[in-house]
Amino acid sequence: MSAPDAYNIAQVPLTAHAFSPDRSALALSTNSNDAQIYAKDGYDWQPISTLKQHDKLVTSIDWAPTTDRIVTCSQDRNAYVWTKESNPESPSQTIWKPTLVVLKINRAATQVRWSPLENKFAVASGARSICICSFDEEMNWWASKQIKKPIRSTVLSIDWHPNNVLLAAGSADMKARVFSTFLKEVDKKPPPNVWGDKFPWSTVCGEYSSSSGGWVHTVGFSPSGDAMAFASHDSTITIVYPAAPAVITLKTTMLPYVTLIWTAEDALIAAGHDCQPMLYSGASTGWKPVGSLDDVNGPRSSNFSSASSPRTPGGGGGGNGPAVGRLNNAAFNRFKDADSRGTSSIPGTPSSPGGGLFGGASGVSGGELMTVHQNTITSVRPYEWSPNGTVTKVSTTGVDGKLVIWNVSAAVGLAPKLAGVHLR
Amino acid sequence: MILLESHSVVIQNTLQERFNKPGSIDVQFVDFDGVRFRLSTPTSKEVIVLSMHMRCWEQLVKYGVDDVIKREYGSRVMAQPEAEYHVSIEYAIDSIPPAGEQRDELIKCASLLKRNALAAPFERAFATQKTLESSASTDLPGDLMEIRYRDEEAIYVQAANDRVTVVFSTIFKDETDRTFGKVFLQEFVDARRQNTAMQHAPQVLYSSRDPPLEIRNVPGLIRSDDVGYVTFVLFPQHFSSPDRMEATISHIQLFRDYLHYHIKCSKAYMHSRMRARVTEFLKVLNRAKMENREVERKTVSGRTLVHR
Amino acid sequence: MSSLRPYLAAVRSTLTAALALENFASQVVERHNLPEVEAATSGEVLLNPLTISRNEKEQVLIEPSINSVRMSIRIKQQDDIERILCHKFTRFMMMRAENFVILRRKPVQGYDISFLITNFHSETMLKHKLVDFIIQFMEEVDKEISETRLSLNARARIVAESYLATFG
Repeated sequence: MSAPDAYNIAQVPLTAHAFSPDRSALALSTNSNDAQIYAKDGYDWQPISTLKQHDKLVTSIDWAPTTDRIVTCSQDRNAYVWTKESNPESPSQTIWKPTLVVLKINRAATQVRWSPLENKFAVASGARSICICSFDEEMNWWASKQIKKPIRSTVLSIDWHPNNVLLAAGSADMKARVFSTFLKEVDKKPPPNVWGDKFPWSTVCGEYSSSSGGWVHTVGFSPSGDAMAFASHDSTITIVYPAAPAVITLKTTMLPYVTLIWTAEDALIAAGHDCQPMLYSGASTGWKPVGSLDDVNGPRSSNFSSASSPRTPGGGGGGNGPAVGRLNNAAFNRFKDADSRGTSSIPGTPSSPGGGLFGGASGVSGGELMTVHQNTITSVRPYEWSPNGTVTKVSTTGVDGKLVIWNVSAAVGLAPKLAGVHLR
Repeated sequence: MILLESHSVVIQNTLQERFNKPGSIDVQFVDFDGVRFRLSTPTSKEVIVLSMHMRCWEQLVKYGVDDVIKREYGSRVMAQPEAEYHVSIEYAIDSIPPAGEQRDELIKCASLLKRNALAAPFERAFATQKTLESSASTDLPGDLMEIRYRDEEAIYVQAANDRVTVVFSTIFKDETDRTFGKVFLQEFVDARRQNTAMQHAPQVLYSSRDPPLEIRNVPGLIRSDDVGYVTFVLFPQHFSSPDRMEATISHIQLFRDYLHYHIKCSKAYMHSRMRARVTEFLKVLNRAKMENREVERKTVSGRTLVHR
Repeated sequence: MSSLRPYLAAVRSTLTAALALENFASQVVERHNLPEVEAATSGEVLLNPLTISRNEKEQVLIEPSINSVRMSIRIKQQDDIERILCHKFTRFMMMRAENFVILRRKPVQGYDISFLITNFHSETMLKHKLVDFIIQFMEEVDKEISETRLSLNARARIVAESYLATFG
């Protein structure tokens, strides 16, 4: 089976991530006011440039696959569109040039997404509104138009319908809604679909409540756009089929999911506070969990010292042996830990004698979670598609500062392994 | 050290040293209960003067302290005490016996100056009890003697025909002291009842706020939750022989200091325990902090691919 | 004693669920990011407070919100002595609140000690270990108080007996 690729990008949360069209670069925000572009250097991701304009936390980043433009939004109430230009000082280099988007909101922007045709993008905000932005050729700027009604709280997430007009939005007022973002200057009249016949600006084409009243953290249209899924803080996933009509609610025993994507018309991946991506599959007749992409029972060192962990082979793949001074460093850290944390740091020694005594969280060993991600996964995005259009790999980032690229097929292999075929 | 000692270590050490090697000195120091001492050589190196100031001296004079001092220190007592002091005792080096038992005895006696002064009312009470007992004509108790040895705290001593009652009033300045004091005093009350080996000990009674019957008529008693009253009932057996009497007086005098000393010790112990426990808790919390080990490693080997 | 396990287990799982926090900027105050449970300006981002009681004297209050959780503990106090010890101990800790980053300087009314955990804490600390800390605190603070109390009683007895024995 194929193991996921995990990269430790930072020791701080990654608030958002987006890959370049060719997957050679990655835009990230390391819990700061800047977005950064990372490029792959050997096995490693190295920062190559910084997108510096925001003066509050960058909350979301999207990278348009065709037009190769980046859009960022932040709690400073602004959004910027970044375009590649050659550096006037050294023409061989490219730089990212920002263009301010006048959002006209007075609260934090929470999420930004390019529309499928990349001629519009939507910004969700804490001003209880969604901004639909399009480029005004005459004025030579990005103009914004707001959808306000009937949103009653911060919009936490958005997702575009493939027809470039419909937009799903999940908000802290416990509702997921489908809006029309039809702009007559930009859009051609879309044909009727399962969500309706006509789509004048800001029509609510659907409104769905979270089953036991939780904040709707994430929404997503299926690849065809004929179904919409959302996950909320009551640990449920709801899949809506307006054609059937059917609203299927999956109650899970996991902690809430905060991000989801569809991988195919009959499958989706959701991830969140349980730190592992879960695959679900189904149709308008019903849905069921398939399994975790994270092999929690797999071979894993749970040592405190990552220097000896097989997951973090030393030397960055170059085969160089332990660096000089490593040993001293380890010894130093051991004493430092003994002082500040009271840990012995000897592999295999439980780190917290009192903790875990009373039914500690399952899958915790030696202080490290048995999952690849050590903290909440905040973003899951498609990474690679098969020729037939299904997502074969997804990327996740989370509060633990890790970027992980998963094979969607990994979850399917779960069943036989649980049956004990897996030897170790 | 569980029990406190009656003598002053400073006086003892200083005199020992100066008697061996005369020289000029002038030291002032305080003992329990705000008693001030001065050891000096005002006229010549050859004469050391020990002076003491006690705030309850005037009361003690009423109860015959002068006689006790005269008995203990004889001709060494100066007719006119130093200014600001109540009693001065003179030690001329040439009058000091040679090093040995006798000299040690003298020094010991000097270091017990405070204890001896405070013994006066007790000695008088014990004597009164004897008189009352032998006269057998009356049940009336003797006079109530009050010794205001601290600002807000006092000792009351009263003899009756079959006993001598000693009442301490004491202040617990905060809630912790009050609660801790209650725990200790309860043990004093219970110890005699529960432990047969304690049958010979004086009976102890404790009340807070309300003064015991013996002193209820004393003017100016503070009635508040901060005040505690401890009553010791001494029976003739406790002062039957001179030795017993001496030991009893020494112990009973120091009761208040003993109690507060141990309350303070308990608080100090509680604090050191808390400090240790809180440090432990902090370590547990620090374990939750994400490791920065990885960051340190990067400086050595660069950012690292993480595989499983 | 037998009810301690389920009590702590209930606290552990409730707290684990309540710690599903996210970065959430204020939708009331422009350009601010406040613990919503303390600000209490947006009703819809507060969850129902939960009380877990072992008995009248021992209970916890967990007040979750979208970006912060406030957790308050009522510590067992049998009498005046334990009340004093508990008060001393919690005060001692609260005076060191800057070291105990998640400790609130003042407890919520009716409780002895309160913690405020925000998304910024759960970002820099491992959530399950934060829970471990709280549980361990709850276990050991009881133990600490009763042990201190026993040692106080023991000392008082020795002190009283030593004193009275001298009159023997």
